[in-house]
Amino acid sequence: MRRWWMLVAACLVLAVAAPLGWWLTRPSSAEGVAVTSVGAPSPSASSPSAPASPSASSARPAVPQVTARPATPADGSRPTTNPVSISIPGIDVRAAVDPVGVEKDGSMVIPRSVDRVGWYRYGPPPGSDAGAAVVAGHVDSKAQGPGALFRLREVGVGDRVDVRLADGRTVRYEVVGKETLVKKRLPTERLFARDGAPRLVLITCGGPFVPELSSYRDNLVVVAEPVGGAA
Amino acid sequence: MRPLRVLAATGAVALGLGLAAAAPSSAAGTSDVSVLHGVPGLTVDVYANGDKLLTDFKPGTLTDPVKLPEGTYDLAVFPAGEGPDGTPAIKADDVAVPSGANITVVAHLSADGTPVLTPFVNDTSRIKPGETRLTVRHTAAAPAVDVRAGGTPVFEGLENPKEAKADIPAAKVSADVVLAGTDTVAIGPADLDLKEGTNTIVYAWGSAEDDNLDLAVQTISGLHSAPGGVPSGTGGLLEDGLPMPLVAVTVVALAGAAFAGRRAVLATRRG
Repeated sequence: MRRWWMLVAACLVLAVAAPLGWWLTRPSSAEGVAVTSVGAPSPSASSPSAPASPSASSARPAVPQVTARPATPADGSRPTTNPVSISIPGIDVRAAVDPVGVEKDGSMVIPRSVDRVGWYRYGPPPGSDAGAAVVAGHVDSKAQGPGALFRLREVGVGDRVDVRLADGRTVRYEVVGKETLVKKRLPTERLFARDGAPRLVLITCGGPFVPELSSYRDNLVVVAEPVGGAA
Repeated sequence: MRPLRVLAATGAVALGLGLAAAAPSSAAGTSDVSVLHGVPGLTVDVYANGDKLLTDFKPGTLTDPVKLPEGTYDLAVFPAGEGPDGTPAIKADDVAVPSGANITVVAHLSADGTPVLTPFVNDTSRIKPGETRLTVRHTAAAPAVDVRAGGTPVFEGLENPKEAKADIPAAKVSADVVLAGTDTVAIGPADLDLKEGTNTIVYAWGSAEDDNLDLAVQTISGLHSAPGGVPSGTGGLLEDGLPMPLVAVTVVALAGAAFAGRRAVLATRRG
């Protein structure tokens, strides 16, 4: 009789422990700093000191000195530093990078092939002095299966991200934040900001899948900051 | 936003978005003002309110934008070294600079060849992601023109001192200027890199009669906006809830507990 009671207890422990253990060990959906806080302009930076107007009795504003430059059409050719590949060794992510723009509806183009990722070519490239270099890829697709960034949600603060550039240089980043954000309210103006501290923003899909829309509800966003000593 | 024209003699002009309530002491706001020199063969000094703003300003050059406090300005252009007490080559009095505008004042020739000052208000509204803004301004002593990109007319029948503009997909284009309705090339072609999120302002300047027509280019960047979203998954393979094997383990364990519990109760009754 006692044996049966012990079996009851063992089964109940297992029934509770299995989901609890999964829940405790699954990758967290948010970690580190808020992804929109990196590179945000400091509030004091926006007010330049007002020029004191020394024009004694004149009611008209004083005029500063100005510099001029030739207005000839520039050829606009500049050496490119496009990224060509990205790797996150900690979670076995390795993918080729395509420069991408926007779709007709204004959303970012994501390479059709799920094992490639896209770099938003209108924003700064990785390795720039300022702004967010945005790289995004499919988490998966119905036809092709898991994508290059399928395991991105397992990334943790401190993980290394290497981006190889077309000129052979590698820019090294370290993850500082991870967040799952509802797509409908994705703060794209902040995530794609071309000013502020240099950073890498990785975006894929996450959260629950909505079969009616063939789409996930959320975006998983990871932000990383450059670390010194590019290899 | 039509450009206002200032004749060489005198005349009051309201710059930009209407007359600023010109309380002179309230230096509340500023506007970004650039100056473009488009009068061939004349190196000048530019004065504003009697202060020298620019020295040895050469044709075909553009100033960096300068923040001018909101207020009223008397602008005068003198041949280099001759100001500010003589008769200016060009002048415009009581030019009202509003707050928060982006303005380019162009010294150029009118259609009949008279030097004039024309203030243009630059469109710095946000541009859709992936697009660029092309603005063209006719500031040359020349008849109406068409502006072509890659041989196709983009703007037609543009007259001095008017402007035309459009938001188009960002691209590198080969642009030229032809006499309106003809294939007679007046200027160019010139290669223009129309960058995303940037207003590229192209000026036709000079004089057709003197055969010195040319293009000047001003760019205003930072007008971009971010993409609307990042659609990056259609598979539904990502497990958001409890994985199936774990669900099975839990169900089997609960069933086992129920079974064992019944046996335990039965055993208790018997016992």
